[in-house]
Amino acid sequence: MQRMKDQAIVANIGHFDNEIQVDALNAAKGVKKTNIKPQVDKYTFPDGHEIFLLAEGRLVNLGCATGHPSFVMSNSFSNQVLAQLDLWKNRDTYKVGVYVLPKKLDEEVARLHLQKIGVKLTRLSERQADYLGVPVDGPFKSENYRY
Amino acid sequence: MEQSILERTKADYKVADISLADFGRKEISIAEKEMPGLMAIREKYAPQKPLAGVRITGSLHMTIQTAVLIETLTDLGASVRWASCNIFSTQDHAAAAIAKDGISVFAWKGESLEDYWRCTYRAISHLEGKGPQLVVDDGGDATLLIHKGYELEEGSDWAKTKSENKEEQVIKDLLLEIHRENPYRWHEIVKDWRGVSEETTTGVHRLYKMHQENRLLVPAINVNDSVTKSKFDNLYGCRHSLVDGLNRAMDVMLAGKVAVVCGYGDVGKGCAQSLRGQGARVVITEVDPINALQY
Repeated sequence: MQRMKDQAIVANIGHFDNEIQVDALNAAKGVKKTNIKPQVDKYTFPDGHEIFLLAEGRLVNLGCATGHPSFVMSNSFSNQVLAQLDLWKNRDTYKVGVYVLPKKLDEEVARLHLQKIGVKLTRLSERQADYLGVPVDGPFKSENYRY
Repeated sequence: MEQSILERTKADYKVADISLADFGRKEISIAEKEMPGLMAIREKYAPQKPLAGVRITGSLHMTIQTAVLIETLTDLGASVRWASCNIFSTQDHAAAAIAKDGISVFAWKGESLEDYWRCTYRAISHLEGKGPQLVVDDGGDATLLIHKGYELEEGSDWAKTKSENKEEQVIKDLLLEIHRENPYRWHEIVKDWRGVSEETTTGVHRLYKMHQENRLLVPAINVNDSVTKSKFDNLYGCRHSLVDGLNRAMDVMLAGKVAVVCGYGDVGKGCAQSLRGQGARVVITEVDPINALQY
């Protein structure tokens, strides 16, 4: 960080603050820290050049703004609720392990968001579905498909 | 703030300013219109109350969007307690609105690390000394605290070992404090725990590692790797909120600047698009040859 350009801005958007050496920066000899406002700090190095560290190295989009917009979070959180429902409904049969939700539910989550943005899905005919080897109502991709 | 966060207060919530509740409620009602998935789930399941009486603990950024998630869970019948999963990520008006509606939320923007872990513990501590039956986790902090507490009671000496950083020491101090008060606390908490769903990449890594080491106590659902999560939230979410964060923090013109993005996964791709959209000249660093070859 010492070698970064004057007025450079440093930020992290990963979950934890361990992607930037904040402790080392704070402890560095001769480096002066000036707080500009909440979640914005200026560091001045002995040669006079300065860098800015946002949100003390914690995730910048939530530290300095308000995170992701509602529409995208609706997708993530719909998956969360379906996961909670699934864990509870099948609590007596689930074994300890790490699972992902079935593709059918993934497609369902997407489906729930299409109307809002004016999308009308095309529907396969039986013949087309047979040719592609997929059910008319999905899932449309194999487990290996990467989107 | 004071140590009393461990004690039950009459109100059973802790937020920055409860008078922000009305503002929070207004923004929540805007968000509901933008969250058709959650609202459709409410419509479909609320009449049956499939989560009736289920004790849920959430450790996930206490934002306006999360408020809509919480109220979806309560609409489905759950009894919910919540903490944020980052010291800076709470939107105080969102927390206030949720608290005013009677949900036990422990979150404010700018918590100390000590407060943060105490808030997590209070979100885990349901009424009558019980623990959660389900956990909604983001980054895995609630899951980590429960596991480390349980392992301490099983004889692990982790809490007494030297810490690599301040936060690790804060966790250990809290666990030892709880252990002195009640050496069976975490076994009581774990007794009815039936599962966790995890929101993000980092937390998912932790879960797979715990499972490999045979330490995982409950079934876990990796929500992060649902396509409608990682290929949307991580990509389009960051595309929206990265420049939002930079602009609110610095208000500096991004066009013409050189921006370096470390990593070109879903998040890195979203960040690169975000900066490119503002006219920055974007440089990527990568270690993975496949990601490095992508456009």
